[in-house]
Amino acid sequence: MNEPITNLWSVPLLVMIPILTAIVVNLLYNKARAIRVISIGAAIAVLAISVVSPYGFHWFAGHPAVNADGTYTFTASVFSWKLSLEYYYGPLQQILIAVTSLLLLFVVVIATKSLSKNYGPYVAIVFLTYVSAAAVIMTNDFYNLWIAVELGSLLVAGLVASSGTGYAQKAALKYTFFSALAGSGLAISLGLILGITGYANITDAIHFLMTNDLGGMHAVLYVAFAFLALAWVYAGGLIPVHPLKSDVYRSAFPHATVLLQAQSKLMLVAIGIVLLRMFGALPFAREVMLSISVLTMIIGIVMALIQTDFRWTLAYIIVSHSGLVTVGLSLGTYKGIVGGLFQAVNDIIYMSILLLCCEMLLYFGKGTSIKFNGGIAKKSPWLAAFVILGTFAASGIPPFNGFQSELIIIQAALEQSLPEVAAVVLMVSISTFIALFRAVYSIFLKPGEDHPVRQSEAKRFEIPTTVFVFLSVLLAISFVLGVYPQLALGFLTESALKVVFVPWVP
Amino acid sequence: MIDTFMTVAYLMVIGVTIGAVAALLQKDLLRAAYITGAESIALAFLFHALLAPDLGLTQAIVGTVLMPGIIILAILKTRRREESD
Amino acid sequence: MIEVSLQLLGFIAATILVVVGIAGMLFLDNLIKKLIAFTLLSDGVNLALVSLGYVQGGIVPILEPGASISEFPNSAALIFGPGIVLTNIVIGVSTTAILAALIVALYKRCGSLKASKVLKGERE
Repeated sequence: MNEPITNLWSVPLLVMIPILTAIVVNLLYNKARAIRVISIGAAIAVLAISVVSPYGFHWFAGHPAVNADGTYTFTASVFSWKLSLEYYYGPLQQILIAVTSLLLLFVVVIATKSLSKNYGPYVAIVFLTYVSAAAVIMTNDFYNLWIAVELGSLLVAGLVASSGTGYAQKAALKYTFFSALAGSGLAISLGLILGITGYANITDAIHFLMTNDLGGMHAVLYVAFAFLALAWVYAGGLIPVHPLKSDVYRSAFPHATVLLQAQSKLMLVAIGIVLLRMFGALPFAREVMLSISVLTMIIGIVMALIQTDFRWTLAYIIVSHSGLVTVGLSLGTYKGIVGGLFQAVNDIIYMSILLLCCEMLLYFGKGTSIKFNGGIAKKSPWLAAFVILGTFAASGIPPFNGFQSELIIIQAALEQSLPEVAAVVLMVSISTFIALFRAVYSIFLKPGEDHPVRQSEAKRFEIPTTVFVFLSVLLAISFVLGVYPQLALGFLTESALKVVFVPWVP
Repeated sequence: MIDTFMTVAYLMVIGVTIGAVAALLQKDLLRAAYITGAESIALAFLFHALLAPDLGLTQAIVGTVLMPGIIILAILKTRRREESD
Repeated sequence: MIEVSLQLLGFIAATILVVVGIAGMLFLDNLIKKLIAFTLLSDGVNLALVSLGYVQGGIVPILEPGASISEFPNSAALIFGPGIVLTNIVIGVSTTAILAALIVALYKRCGSLKASKVLKGERE
């Protein structure tokens, strides 16, 4: 395909609007109304840009091989690209960034409403977290990938620590120490890949690996894979890091966790696709990725089953379902990758429903432990309805979106003759239902103890209209994707095809 | 024949090593922060020797002023000596 | 005496720094000591990346006004390592700042700098 060389207008806007908003909002001290207007406006602008933007590239340096008529050729044979630093905005990027922008809008509205007056820095961190997620999914070079992952982990620490409890600060400190270790490993991996191939651009590097014989340098490639996989694990919260990451999820405000889980799923998808494209041909690479994912699913769901607090159950279920995303990716087939990407989209949506319900539960002022609650369904039937439908979506019950992606992953695992993996996916889906419904039953449905004074004051509780709208929108998306999965699959098939058949194309 | 340049490089590597170990063994945290500053100067020389003078300048500024400055601020806000038990 | 090139010397120093840094981060109990160990680790990584780009008998990769352009690619040191290092120094500073802020906040809460005391996994 021939296209004229123009940088896409929307990519720098998607990155720069949130950064500028973060700077401006950070400077506005004690001006609650201005902060609210600016941040909501920026979130809406970003959402609109991500929806209407066409697909294309944005180059920061270097240029492709140019034809005489000012176009460039997009084939393997004429491959004299020196793209270096490059962003790519395609269908996969569009759907993931659009969903994340929607969540950013919700998070900003809730954050500017529920917190005290001086929340400028907090909103700034929220916007920067969004930037790190958007940059990591759009980038097609190791340099920007590394910076996005590093800054993303620092921002996670900031977002968690700003919830102010001692437990959150401890979780942030532990996570930052580990990210310092793993980030150094990522820098070394980057140096090794640059040393072997000489290209910062992932497309160029993969093309170099495919056309040149490395000879004795293969061992270096394994070291680079190991360090990059370590970064994948810590950015997404897979198995050895799951205690740190689940601490992070449960000690942040639930509305911040909405963005945190979206960010870590985007990191998992972005780095996982890079790992597949770059190292998928190495022996044992996919096996290592697959075993990490399966262990994450099993241990995450077992930990979720033994928790006695709704927040902690949700934290471990997020960890476990990250494993579900990466199982699909690391199967490495076309169907598996489509299933993994679709699962990432679905997971972000239904986990947001449950986390927003958890945030509403905190408004009752009785905490989220399953021991001290009961009978919320009577006081707020809408909230109970939303949380039960969210549970259905999360545990893969047919009319909702979780079912479709889990079905694709199970089919992909069976096609690869890995019935064990399929069984584990089924087990995770059933245990998710058990773990969630246990908490939902004892918090919402079980008749609560009757304190006549308390009941009268709690009866007046209603969900705020904004949150009601957000939950309805998310549930509607979940339902529509469950009934018409082709709507989302149309966005995902192209990149899955590229990863499997032409891995050097972004 | 003794190569002066390589001798200085050896000395700087030894300096980096001693600085790193000494900073971690030092009981007085404030002194440990100063020692990391000294270690950074040796490191900046090594950067110069390894044909990256721009990084040598950056490392000299960041490693001797900014990093110890942040650590010293943290120490002043907390406590100077390590707890014994 | 064994002939040691400057590049190997750089790698040796980098290895020492990385090993000392990781050991300090894992085994020292004081949080500020852990922070200092992290700065040593990031210094070690920087030194390793700079040493990767070293060329024996090469020149500094800056094109002087009178220099010959044809000779330059053959003799100049490789710049990809240093390109990363400049960013890594900045990231190291920001990580140090965030860690220091969290350590101060936790010290105000717990009154101690001992990791075994501060980071205990008790649930609130």
